Amino acid sequence: MIILHATFLERVFSLWGEKPDEPEVSAAKKPKNKLKHRQAKPVSLCYDAGAEKLSLVLKEIGLGFKVTAKSIRPMVAWLPTIDNQPVPSSRLIGEFPESTTQATLAPWKVTVVQFPFEKGIEFLCRCIGKQTLGPGMIVGKDLSFWTMALRFAGAVATKGQFLPDINDLHGIPQARWRSFLSGLESERLSNLAKLIPAVARALSLKDASSPTVSSITLLSEFIDSAVDYLIRSTGRDDFEHALTAKRRSLKAMDGFYSSHDQWLHALRSHDGRMEGKSAELDQLTNHLKNWIRPISVSAASPFRLCFRVEEPDDGNDKWYVRYLLQANHDPSLLIPAERVWKGREILPLANKNFNSHEYLLLSLGQASGICPHIEASLRTPGPSGYRLDAKGAYEFLTQKASTLEQSGFGVMLPAWWTRKGTKLRLNARAHVKTPEMQSRSGLSLDQIVQFDWEVALGSEKLSFEELQKLAKFKAPLVKVRGQWVLLDAEEIQAVIQSWKKKAMEQTTLREVVRMALGGEKGLGNIPVEGISASGWIANLFKELEGKSPFQELPQPRAFQGTLRPYQRRGYSWLSFLRQWGLGACLADDMGLGKTIQALALIQKDWESGERRPVLLICPTSVVNNWQKEASRFTPEIPVMVHHGIERTKGEAFTAEAKEHAIIISSYALLNRDVETFKDLQWAGVILDEAQNIKNPETKQARAARVIQAGYRIALTGTPVENNVGDLWSIMEFLNAGLLGTQTEFKNRFFIPIQAARDPEASERLKRLTGPFILRRLKTDKTIINDLPEKMEMKVFCTLTKEQASLYEAVVKETMEALDETEGIQRKGVVLATLLKLKQVCNHPAHFLGDHSPIPSRSGKLTRLTEMAEEMVEVGDHALIFTQFSEMGAILQKHLQEIFGREVLFLHGGTPKKHRDQMVERFQAQEDAPFLFILSLKAGGTGLNLTRANHVFHFDRWWNPAVENQATDRAFRIGQKKKVEVHKFICAGTLEEKIDEMIERKKEVAERVIGTGEAWLTELSTAELKNLFSLRKEAIGD
Amino acid sequence: MGYWRDDYFLWGRRRSSVPREAKGGIKAQSKHGTFGESWWAKRWIAVLESFNIGARLGRGRSYARRGQVLSIEIEKGEVLAKVQGSRPKPYHIKLEIKTLSVSDWRKLAKILSGQAIFSAKLLMGEMPLDIEKVFREAGLSLFPEKPKDLKTACSCPDWSNPCKHIAAVYYLLAEEFERDPFLIFKLRGMNREDLIHMLSGTDKKTIRKQVKPKQKTLPNEEEGLTSDISKFWNGESLPDDFFGEVRIPSIAAALPKRLGSFPFWRGEEKFLDVMELIYAKASSVGLKVFLGEQMWKEQI
Repeated sequence: MIILHATFLERVFSLWGEKPDEPEVSAAKKPKNKLKHRQAKPVSLCYDAGAEKLSLVLKEIGLGFKVTAKSIRPMVAWLPTIDNQPVPSSRLIGEFPESTTQATLAPWKVTVVQFPFEKGIEFLCRCIGKQTLGPGMIVGKDLSFWTMALRFAGAVATKGQFLPDINDLHGIPQARWRSFLSGLESERLSNLAKLIPAVARALSLKDASSPTVSSITLLSEFIDSAVDYLIRSTGRDDFEHALTAKRRSLKAMDGFYSSHDQWLHALRSHDGRMEGKSAELDQLTNHLKNWIRPISVSAASPFRLCFRVEEPDDGNDKWYVRYLLQANHDPSLLIPAERVWKGREILPLANKNFNSHEYLLLSLGQASGICPHIEASLRTPGPSGYRLDAKGAYEFLTQKASTLEQSGFGVMLPAWWTRKGTKLRLNARAHVKTPEMQSRSGLSLDQIVQFDWEVALGSEKLSFEELQKLAKFKAPLVKVRGQWVLLDAEEIQAVIQSWKKKAMEQTTLREVVRMALGGEKGLGNIPVEGISASGWIANLFKELEGKSPFQELPQPRAFQGTLRPYQRRGYSWLSFLRQWGLGACLADDMGLGKTIQALALIQKDWESGERRPVLLICPTSVVNNWQKEASRFTPEIPVMVHHGIERTKGEAFTAEAKEHAIIISSYALLNRDVETFKDLQWAGVILDEAQNIKNPETKQARAARVIQAGYRIALTGTPVENNVGDLWSIMEFLNAGLLGTQTEFKNRFFIPIQAARDPEASERLKRLTGPFILRRLKTDKTIINDLPEKMEMKVFCTLTKEQASLYEAVVKETMEALDETEGIQRKGVVLATLLKLKQVCNHPAHFLGDHSPIPSRSGKLTRLTEMAEEMVEVGDHALIFTQFSEMGAILQKHLQEIFGREVLFLHGGTPKKHRDQMVERFQAQEDAPFLFILSLKAGGTGLNLTRANHVFHFDRWWNPAVENQATDRAFRIGQKKKVEVHKFICAGTLEEKIDEMIERKKEVAERVIGTGEAWLTELSTAELKNLFSLRKEAIGD
Repeated sequence: MGYWRDDYFLWGRRRSSVPREAKGGIKAQSKHGTFGESWWAKRWIAVLESFNIGARLGRGRSYARRGQVLSIEIEKGEVLAKVQGSRPKPYHIKLEIKTLSVSDWRKLAKILSGQAIFSAKLLMGEMPLDIEKVFREAGLSLFPEKPKDLKTACSCPDWSNPCKHIAAVYYLLAEEFERDPFLIFKLRGMNREDLIHMLSGTDKKTIRKQVKPKQKTLPNEEEGLTSDISKFWNGESLPDDFFGEVRIPSIAAALPKRLGSFPFWRGEEKFLDVMELIYAKASSVGLKVFLGEQMWKEQI
């Protein structure tokens, strides 16, 4: 476990870290170096991660930087300290001192790894948007802050807010790029500086005093350096390429024709170093200063010139563009130009040295090059703006406004212009000729349909002649019945041309659907406002867009159990899209029963005679769960698990698969056996936990797209629709081509939404994908009434190979011992075996007790981690119960390392005071730990933990009453949410068999089983053998 | 000895018209044809050409294009320059121009402030088209008209004045005036800043307190570290919409373009062309970094 911290000092990236005081720090233990007297020299920080750990992190993430003795440097960090005891950044590192005295800052020696700036940038790139870089490698808040600063630098580079410059670096001239932020951006930068965690400034080059460099200085230096580096990194190859042979030889002679050539070269070189006669460079520097001067004036200005478009009062032709000075710190503070011309008044909040008159003149002069009207207005001594006719206004709104804005001027446009849907413009409508419907089952989206184009202005339909008349209209901006109408002559011409060519078109229904959802532009590249159709096609559109309800199906005849009302709707929805060959993404909240809805669909198809199998791909950890759920809810249909080493391949697989309705397999095998899968005609392919294919480049995502199937379904509990970046891959799997190619998607949606925050692009994306994503939340009003207060679910897990072989070894040993012992001794053997097998099911490290590595060795733990990931996404809280405090410790360590967050753990050894603190923090603290591990004995009774809406029973206690009592920590008065209880069971092991026994005689269970496991010792050897033996299905990959 | 002879030989051959190669001299932007596009640059050249010095004009032009002029300094009422001729030591050149009196300038300022465009254009670095009209209105002239308004001198042995070296400087000045028309005013005795303040009607006292261009508004005061534990370690979280809209601008290199071409540019490549290329690439790299793409470097 390491929490990483970073600072940039003098263009060098300094990385250091905190680790827990000792590898096995116990909760109550205090840090070692509590000092009696403050010593003159700083002492090593007890939490210092040290060079070895830092090198390990750098190696792990593959930065390509080797830590050498030269790059390691002891430095002094000024950290909050109470009673001479350092306060760690997180409880993951150590306990906070209990003293109530205020913290003060004190110097502590830490080990810093320094690396060059460019490596630092690469490192930051890897940290963007992450809380951990891998298990146990936690990105500190300061490091997170630097990633934000890097993104800021990226934005500066994107917007081109920088200029070339020359810098004096210890007497050596250096060509550099310097950011020149507009007033608004400077404001943003100082806001960013206010958020900087002090730890980012805590490293000091001198130990005598704490660092005093201001946040804004540090941040500005970083931004400048980062911008400089980003730009520099773009030019090198290009420049080398552009060098003519002549110049290359000149270069070899260490000569440039002029200092200007050298400067341009150095601006694109690695370090920007320049050499040469100082007189010449001085001259260049002077010229540069002169050249940059006007921008410097603007950058130093607390205002910016702003243009406000004022529309005519009564629909006449008199528009006005008014000149105003707009305050950067408060955009609503606007000073009309005439006030500036009139007086020598000092503007509010302006610097005394700020000459608003000169600034306004300069800005207007700069703007006059962009817009001749502005130039013309300057023929008077003090212009306050200029008049425009409708044509001019149109030109200003459509073109000049954005040009002025990009040049750094403010632009204020009428609300009806900037708001969507408040202005009328040309749009296309398609009228689809609905073919006769033969039978509902015979319809498909591949059907060719014919349609006519219609052109409308707003909602008024236009004839061809009317359109031609419009083309002759002089004013492009006309007010009709109180609404502004836009008439773009070029656009009208384009529409006329394409209308002439193809008034009637034909295409597949699939394309028409895409058009109806706004995925394609219409005639002459104008937006498609609507598709009119009649009959069944009209119904289809309405159903797709959710304007009319789709047909709700009855529950399949042989489906066991009862679908809840929302589940029936979900299953009907799946069936509706399925019928049209459209892919569907069911993204219901965890616990709403996505599995059941998918199974209902398969059952329904089975009942209506479908005999082609469905391929179901899920994470290895839930293969068993699917199998169990299928046998419980749809026992009639044959299920085959394609898993493990002994799985069939090729023709044998095909033959076997044809005999089954569902083939369950994992993502790993989807990729490995894709050739086998490809050969089959699948009724459908279903991806469970479909976020597994969110990255379209991964092998499993490619494989998923290759499989041919009648329908495609993706199930996921994570809110896919919120994550634009992940959406393409899942939608491409479901409905290939709907969102265009990956590059098209990036340009049309991803960049506009993520970078430009374009609400229209989000709206378009939502409209286009909405019909294919169904996400219901547990908190939805329509859902919440359908749910019971408490839902109990069994989570069937698989054993890893290691677990299985350990399990079998224990069983073998026991069988031999059982034959040789009797009486008390035999009882002892049985109980010991039970304990060992439960430990193996939990985790090999639990059984071996050897502190060996944790990840990827336990099926249960893998599943728990996956479920916790979903919970993090939606902000849920959970209790995790285990009977074993050893296992609790393993869980705590693992979950903390994976999530980089504190996980609470309450066990028998927890002192009362800590116990109360934990409960209080979990219940009340704003950013409380989201997971709380409790040992069943210590935490199963008495506590009130209603913050949790999930309860996990990681291992089973044979007495349901004890489990229920534990569950009631969350499910009790004060609980406002529905509680979900997840009981983990390793399928095929004794855990499942005991569960079956309990289920079989639930009512007698409590009486028979009592409170312990002693009754098991009474079983006969044959019964025990049966109980202990491992079923084949238990093993995962 | 051979060295001396070669040198002597070359020197002898070059003597007539070929000057010594000058490294890093000021090279004219104009590669052929006239110097300066603007009317005021042309008016300036016209003054030179009115002196009727024959072939020296052409040689002056080629000196200016080859970078023989090593330096130019412009002061109120005079220009000092060094030109590399055929002798090892550069020649010294001096141009003296008659300055206008303060009251003349006041008169001008009054007329100029009648239209904002004059000040705006001048601040922008452009000479308003009708400025000469304004001068005439005030009964003055922008460019020297009478021979006694302009005195030139060169340390070369040529008997003609102006000589080709003076001509070369003259041509380069035309380009320089094109970039910064305030230099013409400076030659006529008026600083840029003083003129601006005259135009905006601010009095003499405020002229002293004029805006000093700052590189950046960096408050350099010291700032201690907080000892509040949560603020120290966690800082504060960023609002969701912190970055606002980030788009690739439709015009690359808008900032350098707003500033115009670089003064006395002597580079082989055209400055704004190179800038445009760099800015376009910076935009695409910047956006990738902004969006957190790790592989931005590989994709350049």
